[in-house]
Amino acid sequence: MSSRITGSMILPFLRTASATDPDSRRVRLEDEVTSLFDQFRNPLLRYLWNLGLTLPDGEEILQDVFLSLFQHLDRGKPLYDARGWLFRVAHNLALKRRGRTRRDSESREQACFEGLAVDPDPNPEDRLASSQTQQRLMAVVRALPEQDRRCLFLRAEGLRYSEIAGVLDMSPAAISLSLSRSLARLARSTERHNL
Amino acid sequence: MKYADPHLTDQELLLEIEGTASGQNEKPTRAHLDGCWKCLARRKDLENAITDFVHVCQREFDTELPPAAGPRALLRARLAQLAATEPAPRSSWAMVWRGLTSIAAVCGVLALGLILSRFSVGWRNPSGAQSGIVSTPDSRLTPGATLLIDRPAVCTQPDTKNKAVPAALQRKVFEEYGIPGADPRAYEVDYLVTPALGGADDIHNLWPHSYSATAWNARVKDALEDRLREMVCDGSLDLSEAQRDIATNWIAAYKKYFHTDKPLAEHCRGCGR
Repeated sequence: MSSRITGSMILPFLRTASATDPDSRRVRLEDEVTSLFDQFRNPLLRYLWNLGLTLPDGEEILQDVFLSLFQHLDRGKPLYDARGWLFRVAHNLALKRRGRTRRDSESREQACFEGLAVDPDPNPEDRLASSQTQQRLMAVVRALPEQDRRCLFLRAEGLRYSEIAGVLDMSPAAISLSLSRSLARLARSTERHNL
Repeated sequence: MKYADPHLTDQELLLEIEGTASGQNEKPTRAHLDGCWKCLARRKDLENAITDFVHVCQREFDTELPPAAGPRALLRARLAQLAATEPAPRSSWAMVWRGLTSIAAVCGVLALGLILSRFSVGWRNPSGAQSGIVSTPDSRLTPGATLLIDRPAVCTQPDTKNKAVPAALQRKVFEEYGIPGADPRAYEVDYLVTPALGGADDIHNLWPHSYSATAWNARVKDALEDRLREMVCDGSLDLSEAQRDIATNWIAAYKKYFHTDKPLAEHCRGCGR
């Protein structure tokens, strides 16, 4: 059973395998799910936020994600890549939630990017320049196709190509193409202004 | 004669930057980069784009990020509820055995149903509250519910007394527990996780706790709630652990935190022992 869950970041899960009493096994499982929550709550919440969800909606989805994880493991199902699993479930729940509150999330997403654009910076020129770079960068991100944006955000959270492929149901080659296309656009946007 | 572009594509450059993250072999591109300043410059541009993107995303988000303590405590409490309410998974032979026993049980229930229908006995009383004495909540009806709240918020609440539950909601709780005609003076419609510990104002967190006729009555639980809050606020007990203990089995929690097997005398005025 020690091969049920693999990966250097999730070694604490291996302890559960040795617990044979159902009650103590569940207590350990609760501890381990909480430990994963501590490890992945911020990256997951940031990803959901970048998808256009509000923070309270994101927190609510994360509760469901980690309760699902508990049930998944409690039923003895394998978990080979905890990070990929968590992002995939969070992504799917977020899309369902966004489908229900489309208008709200679009306006929030817009507000997020506009918040950057109107960031009042009273400080000297270099900070102003930095703010302008941010504005340009986010304008380019906003103009990207949605799937390309998701690839970028997932990669920024440290997911490998194979993990992103699992979350977005794309091939690793398509992920590579998407990321290179997006980053080339970002690079060109700052390059033009720096020259 | 037309020559192919000798330079690396953006995708090849990115794969070289990403290395093992992409799962690709970067060696052929490395050889090209060793001799091509143009591609080296483009590679640097891509790296800068990655750096800028990550900084912008994280900087903006980190200013908005709320603390994790509240959501973490909520998750702990909900996990405890889930573990308490869901049957433990069984091994495959046990599943087969369970299937056979289920068939036998269905037959038994049908026979029992026929007998009970003769005597018009109600079936909606999962807590065993038909006797009118309730000292522990039914976890199916009252799994407990908590608010998204952390320790500082709990400990700075000005009023720790439980809010009165509206009469209509009290009636609903009595109905759920199969005692619709109960005398409200004999029960405290009680919060399983008290609001003073972050409990929610929700029917899933309410149950009819008898004031008398048992040692483990509502006054004893009130004493436990006060004790747990003191411990949470003086830092000797984690909020999530307090919520979990009281939601899972408040009597066991009382024994644990008061180091006793029966209610202390000062908590037990009116106990029907």
